[in-house]
Amino acid sequence: MYRLIQIELFKIFKRPRTYIAFAAITALIGIIQVGLKIDGAEYASFVMADFNSSFSVDGNILNGYFVCYVILQLLLVHVPLLIALIAADMVSGEANMGTLRLLLTKPISRTEFILAKFIAAAIYTLLLLIWMAFLALFVSMWVFGTDDMFIMKSSYAVVIREDDIFWRYTGAFAFAALAMITVASLGFFLSIFAENSIGPIVATMSVIVVCTILSTMNIPLFNTIKPYLFTTHMIGWKEFFDLQVNDANEAIQGSIQNIDKLIRSVAVLSIHVALFLFGSWFIFRKKDILS
Amino acid sequence: MSTVIDVQHLTKQFGSFTAVDDLSFTVQDRDVYGFLGQNGAGKSTSLRMLLTLIQPTAGDIHVFGYSIHTHKKDILRQIGAVIEKPDVYKYLSAYDNLQLFAKLCGINPSHKQLMDQLELVGLAERAKDIVKTYSQGMKQRLGIAIALIHQPQLVILDEPTNGLDPQGIADIRNLILRLSREMGKTVVVSSHLLSEIEQMATQVLIIDRGKKKVEGKSVDLFDPAQTIVKVEVNDYTSAIQKMSESNWATHLTTDGSHSLLFSLHRDQLPQLYKDLAALDISVISFQPRHSLEDYFLKITSGKPHVQAYTN
Repeated sequence: MYRLIQIELFKIFKRPRTYIAFAAITALIGIIQVGLKIDGAEYASFVMADFNSSFSVDGNILNGYFVCYVILQLLLVHVPLLIALIAADMVSGEANMGTLRLLLTKPISRTEFILAKFIAAAIYTLLLLIWMAFLALFVSMWVFGTDDMFIMKSSYAVVIREDDIFWRYTGAFAFAALAMITVASLGFFLSIFAENSIGPIVATMSVIVVCTILSTMNIPLFNTIKPYLFTTHMIGWKEFFDLQVNDANEAIQGSIQNIDKLIRSVAVLSIHVALFLFGSWFIFRKKDILS
Repeated sequence: MSTVIDVQHLTKQFGSFTAVDDLSFTVQDRDVYGFLGQNGAGKSTSLRMLLTLIQPTAGDIHVFGYSIHTHKKDILRQIGAVIEKPDVYKYLSAYDNLQLFAKLCGINPSHKQLMDQLELVGLAERAKDIVKTYSQGMKQRLGIAIALIHQPQLVILDEPTNGLDPQGIADIRNLILRLSREMGKTVVVSSHLLSEIEQMATQVLIIDRGKKKVEGKSVDLFDPAQTIVKVEVNDYTSAIQKMSESNWATHLTTDGSHSLLFSLHRDQLPQLYKDLAALDISVISFQPRHSLEDYFLKITSGKPHVQAYTN
């Protein structure tokens, strides 16, 4: 199994297409960082406009932690496309190239084949998230410095102390990785049915777009299915940046306001991953290879 | 000789279409077993079932005495195969492709072993070039190198000469003969090219519309001494009348092209030539041809896919 995963990773990282995602993330984060570095003060004063009359805010608002939060908010919506480029190509791409039939004439079981490919897609997703974390968090910390983190929510603001932030980002990136693995597993599942890559990639994005719309529309009919849609839970990483308050309305450092919601989101996403993976295996194990 | 492949009552249906219909055959050790049939006859579907790529609707397949259902991995470890086009990873070199598929077979060949394998198929000089730059023939030979890298006992090649130029076809034919005669491997090779099968196979199975038509030794099926002679004459009506009244009447057929066709043994050719002259029949051309194609068309449905062009 380990050998199979190695081979799959070798194939992934030998393909030029793989690096499109890394290049795109590097470019996008770089653009945001340059933009904030040049016009950051103006952006920060715009964000703080409503507060400046009531509060006096000292320190470096536009620090690396804040920049990373902005980047995550902007990018995590688009990363699924980059994930789908590889995950939705994992099986369909082999069918398209004609290598699927050659692979399956080798002494490997279809279960091993599916598992190795899925694990390779998940590792690719993790590496992409790690690269994103490196650029968005560590490079931002280096460029913009560090301080307490100030986040605007819809009806309130959250201030997180500098020494309470890093574990939150670790959790947020781990959660984002799970959300992206869910996208990868959807793309992987759809790739079982096709003999070209375009179909599953487009289908993956279409499913995400439709489910995202259903997740955000506040219509009673859709409200019943919302809790079961993976797109509803994909933004759960933000829970790491919401703190509980005590009776004096003071933020409790080291806390998460709605831990139950976070756990529920992790569970829903994990169940989706398991279902997509099981579905892939179930269909592929008896599938006639006609490509 | 031991039985390498034993297929019994193999059937495959795609919906209401029966691609392979109650097919049974056996392949013995060291045979070059020719799988012959027209396009769409069911050759590739049968071979794919042997390789577990397609699930049979019914029937049993035993390879090396083991059921393909219960000992899939053990059996595939001893099989090397190229199914239809030799598709490999075009963005990798031949060397990387070979190494990758060797690892999939559970072996880790040395640099020398990999280069020796590429040398065997004449690709050593281009080993490090990416496959995208290869010709069809080179890809085909690489496919065979990949099929052989783990030293399998059984080699299955589906239409290995498809899309190759005459030199490429000769290379593949020589390689197959070498595999069988020098390396002692059992080879199953499918083709719709009769001449190819005739030159390579020790045993032949002719399949048509999924059904077995004939199975036997190729020397018995394809008697090279049996010949058909096409004689183009000046005066067709007179010639056919004279020949119908001669001793050649039983050998005579026509194909509607205003030529006389004689089905006969090679030894009878000189006599036919003399008799044509003796009967004062003006011969424009005299073309002996192998009876294999006629035999094959007779055995199979014999219907052309496209109507013959006549002018």
